[in-house]
Amino acid sequence: MAAATQIETVTITVNDLELTVPKGELIVESVKRLGFEIPIFCYHPRMKPVGMCRMCIVEVGFKQPDGSVRKMPKPQAACTLPASEGMVVYTDTEAVHRDRKGVLEFLLVNHPLDCPICDRGGECPLQNNTLFYGPSTSRYVEIKRHLPKAYPLSKYVTLDLERCIQCGRCVRFTEEISGDSQLAFRFRGANMQPSTFGLMEFESKFSGNVIEICPVGALTSSKYRFRARPWDLQTRPAICTNCSNGCNVWMDYRVDKVVRINGRTNEAINEEWTCDRGKFGHDFYNSPDRLNVPLVRRGTALVETNWSEAYSDCIRAFTSSTNTAGLGGNANSNEDLFAWKKLFNEGFKSNELDYNWTKVAPIADPTHAKPSIASIEDAPSILVFGSSLADELPIVFLRVRKAWFKNGAKVIVAHDQATDADSFAELVLNYQPGTEATLAQALADAKAGKSVEAAAKLTGVPAEKIAAAAAHLTSSTAIITSHELLNRPGAHDALGALKGLGELRNYALNANDQGAAEIGIGTGTKRSAQILADARDGKLDALWLLGVDPFEVCEDHDLVQAALENVAFLVVQAHTKNGAFPYASVVLPMTAPAEADGTYTNADRHIQRFGAVLPAKGEAKPAWKAFSEISLRLKPGRPWFNADEVGRALGAEVAAFANHSFNQLPTEGLPLV
Amino acid sequence: MAERKLILEHAHDPAYRTLDGYLAKGGYEALKKALKMERQAIIDEVKTSGLRGRGGAGFPTWIKWNGIPKEKSDKLHYVLCNADEGEPGTFKDKQIMEQTPYLLIEGMTIAGLATQGDRGYIYIRGEFIDAARSLRNAIDQAYAKGYLGKNILGSGRDFDLFIHLGAGSYECGEESALMSSLMGERGMPRLKFPHAPLPTISGLWDSPTLINNVETYACAPFIIKNGGEWYSTLGASTKNSRGTKIFSVSGHVNNPGNFEIEFGTSLKELLEMAGGVKGGKLKACVPGGSSVPIINAEAVDRAIIGYEEMADVKSMVGSGGCMFLNEHTCIVTFIWRTALFYANESCGKCTPCREGTRWMLQILDRIRQGKGQQGDIELLEEVCSQIDGRSFCGLGDAAAWPVQGAIRVFREEFEYFIANGRSIVTSEPSLVMAP
Amino acid sequence: MSLGIYKGIVKPITSGLGITYRRLKHKKVTVSYPEEMREQFPRTRWRHFLTRYESGLERCIGCSLCAGACPARCINVVAAENTDEARYSPGERYAVRYEINMIRCIFCGYCQDACPTGAIVLRKNFELADYHREDFIYTKDRLLEEYPGQSDEPYTSNRKEWAEARADEKRR
Repeated sequence: MAAATQIETVTITVNDLELTVPKGELIVESVKRLGFEIPIFCYHPRMKPVGMCRMCIVEVGFKQPDGSVRKMPKPQAACTLPASEGMVVYTDTEAVHRDRKGVLEFLLVNHPLDCPICDRGGECPLQNNTLFYGPSTSRYVEIKRHLPKAYPLSKYVTLDLERCIQCGRCVRFTEEISGDSQLAFRFRGANMQPSTFGLMEFESKFSGNVIEICPVGALTSSKYRFRARPWDLQTRPAICTNCSNGCNVWMDYRVDKVVRINGRTNEAINEEWTCDRGKFGHDFYNSPDRLNVPLVRRGTALVETNWSEAYSDCIRAFTSSTNTAGLGGNANSNEDLFAWKKLFNEGFKSNELDYNWTKVAPIADPTHAKPSIASIEDAPSILVFGSSLADELPIVFLRVRKAWFKNGAKVIVAHDQATDADSFAELVLNYQPGTEATLAQALADAKAGKSVEAAAKLTGVPAEKIAAAAAHLTSSTAIITSHELLNRPGAHDALGALKGLGELRNYALNANDQGAAEIGIGTGTKRSAQILADARDGKLDALWLLGVDPFEVCEDHDLVQAALENVAFLVVQAHTKNGAFPYASVVLPMTAPAEADGTYTNADRHIQRFGAVLPAKGEAKPAWKAFSEISLRLKPGRPWFNADEVGRALGAEVAAFANHSFNQLPTEGLPLV
Repeated sequence: MAERKLILEHAHDPAYRTLDGYLAKGGYEALKKALKMERQAIIDEVKTSGLRGRGGAGFPTWIKWNGIPKEKSDKLHYVLCNADEGEPGTFKDKQIMEQTPYLLIEGMTIAGLATQGDRGYIYIRGEFIDAARSLRNAIDQAYAKGYLGKNILGSGRDFDLFIHLGAGSYECGEESALMSSLMGERGMPRLKFPHAPLPTISGLWDSPTLINNVETYACAPFIIKNGGEWYSTLGASTKNSRGTKIFSVSGHVNNPGNFEIEFGTSLKELLEMAGGVKGGKLKACVPGGSSVPIINAEAVDRAIIGYEEMADVKSMVGSGGCMFLNEHTCIVTFIWRTALFYANESCGKCTPCREGTRWMLQILDRIRQGKGQQGDIELLEEVCSQIDGRSFCGLGDAAAWPVQGAIRVFREEFEYFIANGRSIVTSEPSLVMAP
Repeated sequence: MSLGIYKGIVKPITSGLGITYRRLKHKKVTVSYPEEMREQFPRTRWRHFLTRYESGLERCIGCSLCAGACPARCINVVAAENTDEARYSPGERYAVRYEINMIRCIFCGYCQDACPTGAIVLRKNFELADYHREDFIYTKDRLLEEYPGQSDEPYTSNRKEWAEARADEKRR
């Protein structure tokens, strides 16, 4: 690569081994290249170094022209030391070990050492470093610092001030990464403590991350509190299905119950962060409302039955008429959706499937390759149009903020309300509700040098602001919109105007909306609203709800209720009792995302595998399996036996998915072709 | 040698605090001269003069001045004055600011000229209300007469000067913490990045920044007016210390106050200027503010004031806060009080200083309560060695040195206190010990 | 004939009884178990107990270190938080469930070593046989001593007490 040759390198010596590293690289990172370890607390690779904890101190010298080494009189903190030519670093001398011991002794004098009851115990950097580098006994005989224990900072985060080692990671996270600056240090010296201003509630959409980056048990999860110790847990990689970003997470479970979700590093998707919605949104797995057995309506009551009877009912209803439809919605795998479409198309001779609940359908050609989420970082300017990113796609919001914070990207926010991104935006275009299309067209006009006075009057955004915003837009501008925009009138016109202004990224909302579009769900003649309206008017003979609660995704509750009441036959296939459950003719229990193998397509068309973490509840089956079994009854043949086979069939049918089946995918996923 | 007054020559003349009085005594001649000089020529004069930082570290001043980029980028150049004089025992800057404010203003203006400074900030310790008022008054007059602001004295060069009052933290006297505080952040030392000891490239708001002590700036007019050559003749008897230094003499002396002396004067002479020891024989001296190691009477006799010379008696010139202690002083109590100060003033950023200062205080507390144990002295020494050089900024070192020094010089006092549970000094304690 | 009887029967019997007679003056080594029991070795490790503090509070804080140390993975601890209204142990945390699978347990005593509060101890009660597999899962209420110091009382060799204790245990 051309860029590689431009990197200026220096030669340093680490423990008598020569090493060439980029100039200015922090020594704490350089020594990792040789496999040496420097213990750290405050340093975090994704945040600016501060050199607070002094744990990483090393001996440093410089090579003299005569070949000797002149050591610096004081030890240096490796986390704040950039590599320079001729630097000689020692990480393993007696003096270094003595200094580390000293720092750990200092850290432990006021640490309560209540490791047995601390949630961090067993996976605690302070424990690890003390074990490897610390003193075995304490010489401290005075009274330790006593502070409130288990202070609830928010409903998710519990603060234990006694355990805090004042490394400032949490404070820096809220300042540098999430940008809400909710945490700060109070008091000074030995009394210094992190907290919110005035002990207010810690209101952040990313508060869960501070639990993970805390190197001690000072910030712990209120939900995970005392639920398990690390050695009680089993951990499997998983994908978050709470939004379309598809964050990589670790799912920790104990005896088949999910107790905790932690971020898993995937530079292309979420780096290592999680949002609170994803991190703490796993309650439904253990919900008492989970569906375990198939139910069929006999008379007025839903009675438990076996799969065979439930299938028969479904087949009877859906094959007796072709006036049938299906609605999906939240978090179904590609396999489920493909099998569903296949069953409807071939078995039920219907294509009235929809997955999208926005008022207008997304115009973007589903096969149009979207620039990756990671590439937002490189954009010189970013236009967030009509989307409250921090609420809809929180991790994309972090990328946008990183682009601004790290690379100085100019961020322009256009929304009819105040959004979280306003805090760092270069320009905020606060338009009148409903004038999205006008504003988008005005931006295009301003770019083309036309007058935007009329549009300014209509949208309420000053003409100078529109002109200033347009001046920032280039062909490499990342224009980010989301499904929120699709619920606004004139969304099509807005998107059309935006398309010419830069790289348009219209991100989907739910976990596999993008996958559904790729597979071809929603290519029928009717959209979701029309299907519901038909059902309400009694024009629909049978409706299949796949893993969706229409009351949740559709704003028009009256329409939903009337539709569900009036449809002749309703199949509710779900993992948990939902709003549609009382109206169901047949209820098919389905596995939740973590309970079956599957692949998910995220907003930037990255396809990732999600291997089963937990066993299925009761008789619940993956949806594709149920579809496959129904198909088998309609037309005998060879069913699919596992998710990989479904994926291969999908690949054969939809070109984008070729070679993207469950077993073919690497752990970190692949972009769709 | 007697006092050699440069800065404090007219300090007691109230007229000197007005612009007219200052001009009448030859004020602003240096600035007028400097306006005709090349920028580099000013820096060269400072280099010739051998002026070293008066704030405590004794860093050669010209290196800082010379380190500011010669070519201006789009960033402003800042000239900062560290007037956060918080070192216990030091009160020289207070007098300069209150009584000779124009020397500081003129000095900063000259520094601004030499480094293409656009803005100057004087960060004054929050308690120095009088000093701030005096400076405010002086700056207003200087603006009115065209000595500050746009187009200084018709030269076409601009320099603005602002006053910022601190909020009461000793730590903000550390230059990077001062900048944090000035920028509205928590007063904690900042990382000097890219790794450099000086903020000359990237300091305040990531811009080139010059920062010096009040006294250092106040020296500049004399250097420019009379030439660096002349200035370097002052204190020529020392190895590498030139000019005059104001010492704030306090403690058990008959006539405490600020004394401006040439380098090369002996500490004993300084004591005599201050009227000799009060209330008994001399026991110890802290020659340069509370953070420098304490020395005993024997060392006072042979100590010569000079940056290198003081090292011979294992102490430092520091900021010039010279405290003499008589024989009725309990060194353990004295050191306990010093440790209390540092434990209170540690900002909490780095582990060694945050936890170490508190621990030291607790050990000394225990010793003073008569609960000292065998091994406490060794533990204190060990704790000090774990702080010294390991902390983020100089405060940790400053907290460790007095304890290390006191143990080195007065070890038997500590041993006696631990063994007997009471002080070796039986007479009434003559230092008032505020808690 | 009579000589034959003597030689063949009486003599062996009397000499045999002689051994018996000589043995009579030796100290008796058998005990009539279960009516009485042999003294156990001082460091014998059998049945687990969860001990209490003098105040009656449970020592166990539900830290699960015993479960982590257990080589047979036979301990299951579920912790919960103490409140001021319902306080089981000092501090924040207590064990809401504590189960040991006695069939799996190898009586290594690692749990006792790992315990930071001295809550789990192995005592000399060795009669652990039972009739149902389920009964070998010792739950917290079976493991927890009823009053402080109960587990330190010598394991009784008194048949009556033993029987009572046994019946008691079965009832539970």
